[in-house]
Amino acid sequence: MRRFVAVRLLHAIVVLFLVTTIAFFLIHLAPGDPFSFENASISSEVRNQWRAQFGYDRPLLEQYVRYLASVAQGKLGYSHSMHVPVVEALALRLPRTLLLMGLALILSFAIGIRLGVFEVRYWSTRKARASNAASLLVYSLPDFWLALMLLLIFGYWLPILPTGGMQDLVLHDYMTPSQAAWDRIKHMVLPLTTLTLLLGAAITRYQRASLLEVLPSDFVRTARAKGVDESRVIRRHALRNALLPMITLAGLALPALIGGALFVERVYSWPGMGLMVFTAIGVRDYPLVLASVIAGAVLVVVGNVLADIGYALADPRVRVH
Amino acid sequence: MFTDAIDRTRRLLHGLGGPARVALVVLLCFYALALLAPVVAPYAPSQQLDIVALKNQPPSFAHWFGTDRVSRDVLTRTLYGARVSLSVATLAMLVAAVVGTTYGLVAGTLGGAVDTVMMRFLDALLAIPRVLLLIAILALWNPVPLSMLVLLLGLTGWFDVSRLVRAEAMAMREREFVVAARSLGARRGRIMLRHLLPNVLVPVIVTTTLGIGNVIVLEAGLSFIGIGVHEPTASWGTMFQEGTAAFAGTWWAALFPGIAIVVTVLCFNVLGDALRAVLDPRHLPRSRIAAPAATFAAVAE
Amino acid sequence: MRFFIATCSLLVLSGACADRAGTADRAATGGTIVVVVPGNEPSPLFPPLTIDIISKMLIDQIYDRLAEIGPGMNTVGDAGFQPRLARSWTWSPDSLSIAFDIDPRARWHDGKPVRASDVAFTVSLDKDPKTATQLSAIIANVDSVTVRDSLTAVAWFHKRTPEQFYDFVYQVQILPEHILKDIPRDKLGTSEVIRKPIGTGRFRFARWEPGVRIELVADTANFRGRAKLDRVIVALAADAGSATTQLMSGQADWFENIQPDLIARLDSAAPVRPVRYQGTQYAYMGMNQRDPKRLTAPHPIFSDRQVRRALSMALDRQAMLKNMFDTLGVLGLGPFTRGLADTTVVQIPFDRAHAAALLDSAGWRPGPDGIRVKNGKPLAFGLLTPTSSAPRMRYAVMIQEQLKSVGVRVDIESMDFTGLIARLEAKNFDAAMMSTGSDPARAAIKQNWATEGIGKGLQNQVSYSNRVFDALIDSAIVTFDKKRSDQYAHRAYQTLVDDAPAVWLYDILTIAGAQKRLRPEGMRPDGWWVGLADWWIPANERIERDRIGLRPSASTAQQ
Repeated sequence: MRRFVAVRLLHAIVVLFLVTTIAFFLIHLAPGDPFSFENASISSEVRNQWRAQFGYDRPLLEQYVRYLASVAQGKLGYSHSMHVPVVEALALRLPRTLLLMGLALILSFAIGIRLGVFEVRYWSTRKARASNAASLLVYSLPDFWLALMLLLIFGYWLPILPTGGMQDLVLHDYMTPSQAAWDRIKHMVLPLTTLTLLLGAAITRYQRASLLEVLPSDFVRTARAKGVDESRVIRRHALRNALLPMITLAGLALPALIGGALFVERVYSWPGMGLMVFTAIGVRDYPLVLASVIAGAVLVVVGNVLADIGYALADPRVRVH
Repeated sequence: MFTDAIDRTRRLLHGLGGPARVALVVLLCFYALALLAPVVAPYAPSQQLDIVALKNQPPSFAHWFGTDRVSRDVLTRTLYGARVSLSVATLAMLVAAVVGTTYGLVAGTLGGAVDTVMMRFLDALLAIPRVLLLIAILALWNPVPLSMLVLLLGLTGWFDVSRLVRAEAMAMREREFVVAARSLGARRGRIMLRHLLPNVLVPVIVTTTLGIGNVIVLEAGLSFIGIGVHEPTASWGTMFQEGTAAFAGTWWAALFPGIAIVVTVLCFNVLGDALRAVLDPRHLPRSRIAAPAATFAAVAE
Repeated sequence: MRFFIATCSLLVLSGACADRAGTADRAATGGTIVVVVPGNEPSPLFPPLTIDIISKMLIDQIYDRLAEIGPGMNTVGDAGFQPRLARSWTWSPDSLSIAFDIDPRARWHDGKPVRASDVAFTVSLDKDPKTATQLSAIIANVDSVTVRDSLTAVAWFHKRTPEQFYDFVYQVQILPEHILKDIPRDKLGTSEVIRKPIGTGRFRFARWEPGVRIELVADTANFRGRAKLDRVIVALAADAGSATTQLMSGQADWFENIQPDLIARLDSAAPVRPVRYQGTQYAYMGMNQRDPKRLTAPHPIFSDRQVRRALSMALDRQAMLKNMFDTLGVLGLGPFTRGLADTTVVQIPFDRAHAAALLDSAGWRPGPDGIRVKNGKPLAFGLLTPTSSAPRMRYAVMIQEQLKSVGVRVDIESMDFTGLIARLEAKNFDAAMMSTGSDPARAAIKQNWATEGIGKGLQNQVSYSNRVFDALIDSAIVTFDKKRSDQYAHRAYQTLVDDAPAVWLYDILTIAGAQKRLRPEGMRPDGWWVGLADWWIPANERIERDRIGLRPSASTAQQ
């Protein structure tokens, strides 16, 4: 097991190095730099002075080597747009995104697994079919589309929920703890619902499909033959086997959520990493964009490694690989 | 030599249920409308009828879907938008299919160390968050021409296909007819082309077809944030963005392209479900999440 | 010699601005407003390094100048200037030095008194090349500032100019020496002061939560009186769409730039009313006269004056204006906004038939696909357009369609602002949807349109060059007789408009959306925020967030 983990980690490092390299050049080769913003009154001389201060006047390869060296020391550069070291910016923004994604992940698994079982258990009933149709529909909705619709409906037409941000900008700090908590929840409802619906629909369908696949298999048939009743078969035998691939899915869903979080954060002005990436790109804050891509890749890799380990723990058969 | 494949396709279509057939018909209609847009559409896609008198007109008998902010007919633009959205997605998946099949075949056929290295590289590519990377590239290199967009979408979307093909090729390598061909002295490349390719073709076609739905959403999402397809070219994503930018004002400009996106993706998913049920499950990645929105495109087996 | 009568009228388009509340109300303090801002994080809150409009708005609240320009926006001499940190000033007989008498009541927000040495320090910092600020060029005429006594700072000028007072006083905001003196000048850009400014303004900085908000609170002990509002919060939104949503849903109180299409839907029942204020920018389609691929060569299309005139003639500027701004639009007449415009300049008429004839005679004949061709080359050009500007995007689409009808193909190249500026700086473009600030000083027009403005890093980005225009505008600048100066200027403008280096489109419309309870005051063409410290909210219209009062929140108390 230890060797398995070690090999996995080694892979992860190689993968991250490749990602960093690819992203560095794709970003730095693009036209413009952090100091080519719009402002006619700032002369080229002043801009060049600023470029020199931050090393953007060096040859690209030198910048790359310097970047790698600083990454190796745990430094990710200085963010020109947020006026803090990149590490600080990430430390502020990433947890907010992770909070949203983590909650969405938990909720959508809770809902998705139940719905999946429900759809299989009551296979031919009208309710199950309606549920199946609904999950298929939600599953087909684009993220930005759903986010915008929910925003318009609940934030504007029936103005019962806030339209953006993470908390009331003004009043939050003056609230009692319980009011403040309620304020947080209100602001989180729409972004969280959007993400949960999208991921939940995917999980429902995945769960349903894997259950249907396991059901005809031998051990379930045996259990059924022994006279165990149908819902017990599903719960005890089929579900346990169908849960195995879900571990993989959990690892893989995390990075997929990043994409969804990008759109959701943008629509709801949720001040997480996704929103930060958009503004960073807008002002060519290269260190911040690069760090965000790397952070995203780290999430993916960590998710995969965890899923692999989880899978190995759950099912000894795979440990050989 | 592809008769086997054709036969399998025919059997497959017969096995589809009612909803899937409806979905297939709807999709074929959309493709037909997209192709025939110049014939069917009442106006030219960029034609501005009267920028003062006819801007932002709600749906009426003259303009079924209304007009947009520069007095273009929304129905016309939705039809032409289908052209752009469908062709971008279809071509991107074609790129993905070709690249993915080639990569998977090479890795699967050669096996050994080459396979290991190729798969590690694939891991690296899979670790890059696709949407984030696409946004960064497209926004920094803005404006990206349509052909480049297709290429980018394709080149970031072939990973699943190549895994599928590789698995298929690995399994196939041990099958009797390949072993027989090899023992008869057939060259590796020849075996790949003659025996493996036709066998992986159906699953590849099915997977890529289903992938089109995702790419439509992805393109729409990118266009929605202003970095995919650009004015004055209409795509469903750009139209949706323009319509919603007016803040709930000209709902018709956003509604119709918005519905078009959802219906198309829904049809692709219904079709995908049915195909998966009909096909031998071993031939498709097991219960592969076909990914709803662009978001979950990375969730694969 | 250059006079400018500002028409800074605050025009209220709908809703009741009329003061229902009495003067007693107006005097009452309190209230919290949320100003929503789309787009990027503001640049440093540090006058020498500030580059964007939002941080300019913020530093204008936090820092003070020695004196403030008057509502008439006069820039010549010191007429109209009102005391700020200096309560008075004395010119030396030769006008080469001015002694500023610092208000002894002035305090930094940390309680330390303001001293003449702060002024001297500020000027030395601004002029230091290591600080790397644009200000050093702007105040080049200031030699130095010396300290006569702790409350008297003397500014020394190299030469006497009509705008020497304005150039120094308007551009330089006084910085605290005791905070900044130990920070290396080349490290200012990454230091903490740029995130936690300490000034003397009527609002003090409270906190900056990156990507979320910046908060200012009233400086209650301020020597010029506390700001009427308790608190101003700048909320950052992802884009104009979400900023609009926040305004319309009541989460925000003020959005400085709402879309004209939205205004049409704001009726008296809406919680938001439009507030129009005078902008300083005019928008136009600039046509590059140099070949973007080879800067020394003339542009294959736009170097021909007849072609440029034909393109202007083919565009229905009135219809485009009506489409975009409905009744609110102001048509561009030349290189100025309407408030500063010479309205007698004869315009190039809209006449498509004539435009087609001009193109024919210039050798551009219709090709097989309807696009004109000359020497085998199609009459096609790229048009750079910023995606962040809805009006410019829409104009580009309309221009494209209208020029198609005379056989010209326009390829819209849309990109974000940063990308656009990079292309403009490199002069790597055919045509671009551009905007420029309209300046009362005629010398400023030279930067954009005279031959001397051509060159790397300079502002004549379309490389327009006409010696007649240069000579006329120079004559206008050096002529002391106002009437003759105006005549020269008129001839210069007419030459420019006739040469059509650009298609003059519109004044950039500046209409803010405001919650009705808000009472803005003292807007000026150079910023709607100038009078922010005097904005107020009638007591009977206050909502929950107005009633918090000045008590610090848990998180600001920590800071």
